[in-house]
Amino acid sequence: MVGVLIRMKLAIIRNSMTGGRAALMVIGGVLGVLAAATTVWLSLVDPSGPGVVPDLLATAYLVWLLGWVVGPVWGASSVLRVDHFALLPVPRRQLAVGLLGAAFVGVTTAVTALAFLSLIVYGLRQGVLPALVAVPAATLQLVLVVLLSRASYSFFGLIARGRVGSAFTGLMLAAFLVLTQSGWIVVVALIYSDVLTTGFPSEYSTVVRAIPSGWGVVAVETTHNGHWWRAVGLLAAMVALIGLLLLGWSRTLGSFRHGRATIRGSGHAPRATRPVLAGRTAAVVRKELRTWWRDPARIQMLAIVLGWALGTALLPLTLDWNATLPWAGPAMALMAATVACNLYGEDGTALWLTLQTGTERQDVRGRQWAYLLVFGPLTVAVTVGFTLYSGYTWAWPWLLALVPALLGGGVGLAVFTSVVALAPGPDAHKRPDNPLEQAETPWQSQVLFWVGLLPPVPAVVTVVLGTVCDNAALLWAGGPVGLATGALLGWWLGRVAVKRLRSRGPEMLFHLRTGHAAETTTVKADVPTVELTRRESLVAVFSWILGPLCLFPQGVVPVMILLAGADLRLWFLALYFPDPLRWPIAILMVMLGILLLFQAIQLTTKGRHSCGPSPG
Amino acid sequence: MPKLFSGAAGSRSSGTADGSAALRLTGLTKTFGDLTAVDRVDLTVSAGSFYGLVGPNGAGKTTALSMAVGLLRPDAGSSTVFGVDVWSDPVHAKALIGVLPDNLALPERLTGRELLTFLGQLRGLDPSAVAERTQELLEVMDLAHAERTLVVDYSTGMRKKIGLATALLHAPRLLVLDEPFEAVDPVSAVALKQILARFVAGGGSVVLSSHVMALVEQLCDTVAIMVKGRVVAAGPLDQVRGAGSLEETFVRLAGGDARVAEGLSWLAS
Repeated sequence: MVGVLIRMKLAIIRNSMTGGRAALMVIGGVLGVLAAATTVWLSLVDPSGPGVVPDLLATAYLVWLLGWVVGPVWGASSVLRVDHFALLPVPRRQLAVGLLGAAFVGVTTAVTALAFLSLIVYGLRQGVLPALVAVPAATLQLVLVVLLSRASYSFFGLIARGRVGSAFTGLMLAAFLVLTQSGWIVVVALIYSDVLTTGFPSEYSTVVRAIPSGWGVVAVETTHNGHWWRAVGLLAAMVALIGLLLLGWSRTLGSFRHGRATIRGSGHAPRATRPVLAGRTAAVVRKELRTWWRDPARIQMLAIVLGWALGTALLPLTLDWNATLPWAGPAMALMAATVACNLYGEDGTALWLTLQTGTERQDVRGRQWAYLLVFGPLTVAVTVGFTLYSGYTWAWPWLLALVPALLGGGVGLAVFTSVVALAPGPDAHKRPDNPLEQAETPWQSQVLFWVGLLPPVPAVVTVVLGTVCDNAALLWAGGPVGLATGALLGWWLGRVAVKRLRSRGPEMLFHLRTGHAAETTTVKADVPTVELTRRESLVAVFSWILGPLCLFPQGVVPVMILLAGADLRLWFLALYFPDPLRWPIAILMVMLGILLLFQAIQLTTKGRHSCGPSPG
Repeated sequence: MPKLFSGAAGSRSSGTADGSAALRLTGLTKTFGDLTAVDRVDLTVSAGSFYGLVGPNGAGKTTALSMAVGLLRPDAGSSTVFGVDVWSDPVHAKALIGVLPDNLALPERLTGRELLTFLGQLRGLDPSAVAERTQELLEVMDLAHAERTLVVDYSTGMRKKIGLATALLHAPRLLVLDEPFEAVDPVSAVALKQILARFVAGGGSVVLSSHVMALVEQLCDTVAIMVKGRVVAAGPLDQVRGAGSLEETFVRLAGGDARVAEGLSWLAS
């Protein structure tokens, strides 16, 4: 069974591999190896504090475990879908073992195995016997995280069928995002605190060791202390936990058609007779608002936006720092565009109706209005409420500049990306049992997050000038500038989306229907066709990911740190160089970022133009 | 023996002028990689005819119909509806057609009534007409009892019926239906057949694809048989099937597999 499923998985991966996917896989692999190497490095450090290394390792393993639990929920459909095997007369437990075996085949498992080698390294430093215990402990730990990942995917899929469950998974993803992005604060705090010399607080050590991801560390530790029977007990406990999880998971695999939470619509459809409400755009707005309210996937998006923005703004309160409060609103507007980057992919092949009724413009504009109606009031309410509560009156001109520009830019970017970088997923009616199975949009979200920061630039520059020159008129002019930028971008990017939907609608529908991008269509024989080669599409993906990284976190941020004269290094490359080289390196990174982005845009548009203009 | 001719339906075209053909496909071609899914297909559907398109799985029926209505861009060839080119004047052409594609999504989070109301508005119909037609369609399709059920929760047969309702809502002159009777229960099928027959009697034209020969024989006056992307026979039903049944003709043209009779010996043992 395991062998068959592994071969099946490899065949599916092979058949669906594209240049872009291969690039993502390679980048993911490299980042994973870096993370694994860091974990191994933790087992080699020699801090003076008591029990610091096992605490650090237990913490690292907890992070790996969380990554495994959240990863699949975030990263959409698994390669082997359980309902492929619905009619196989195979016992559920055997199927579970088979699927688990297949789950081990992947880059993620390989890098995790590499990371867990750190436990054996740690064991070796303790002696022969601890090293011998570390080998089965690390192996069991690997099985545990992979199994927990599969089991939690089933579990979250089960609860996400209802709207409450979707909101819950959305909030969980948001919490994970907040924790990950705030991780560097923890690292900085660790380095600057005396924890490494005095050891972690005992409560902390107890907690990270009590969680199953820490049991392996404890087993090695107790062997070193001579309590080998405790180690055996812990290993047995890990085996028992794996057994229980396997049992529980195999039970969820059996019932392929669960009674699902049915969301009801209203029994009547009111007639819109007033001219504005009876129009085509209004019809789309109404349809979209109903979808935002009824579709678990959209509820999840809303929960991510709210959870992430509020979490980011509220987390610093734990350090008695409330200067982040006013920015919760702008953060929401930014995240909204990031999650709504694949609206057409979400709705799947329903696009045929738009094409058949020739309502491409109304569809794009209707989606934009609905987006503004959903996120606009929320953003404004949070901005006003939090800013009033924080008492930071100086923030108002900044917020007036930021909010409309972010909202307008976001509503433009969301529909633009949804059309230009369409990512097909299974249609809603073909995945009734797990709403988490969606299209994968890793790079769309990543790119949109950074590009989404650009629309407020003119307005912010105005406010900065107003502040520097101490000119009240300029300071408050940021608001109108932000409004104008937002309105212009929302309108213009929407227009681009409409044009593209009109000219490439059938190709988009084909992409949604088959999962493959439409091949060259030579409607007119004289249209020159330019297809991106595999190498070019690889370069494009690399450029899209590395460009924003070089430009913002490695370029603009170090420049700002240099300007501020702060003594920080963290992960900013330029700041690790001796003084005369810092400025040139930071500027070099900015230029490299711009160059890469330019190249990415050029290659992408070249690929897009490859199918020739529409004859219509 | 029926007179069979390869891809020659265009020449048959019942002597009508260009404008009066409900649907005319000329040299329609589509290639996916090495596979030519539709190979220079010519078809003419006269106005007022009930046209059946039959063929084995993978013959290219869905691909051909998708290109005919403007949902898939052809590599070559053209499609005109009542003389209006689907690809150069899509707005005008698409207003004349009602389409039921096979197994595509709909706005899934709407109820049947909301979906029809939404579509009526998109088509620019009068609000009171939309309300009236919606009510009538829901009753005829036996969907009125599922008032509050969202389309995503519809069964396969219900999806087919609401799909048909969306195709009929704007009273088109030509219906293009891909497997309209698949998964539809017999009671609803009788109602649908009556609706379609009445539509044709009233001057409308229907093109449908199907695997069910008996159904095509019962409903259609003209048929075309597609095999491996090409039209291998087309014409009036009686002419195509000749003395035998449509099924016999179809199996002969589609190359019925002799191995089936001998193979799978293990199955009965």
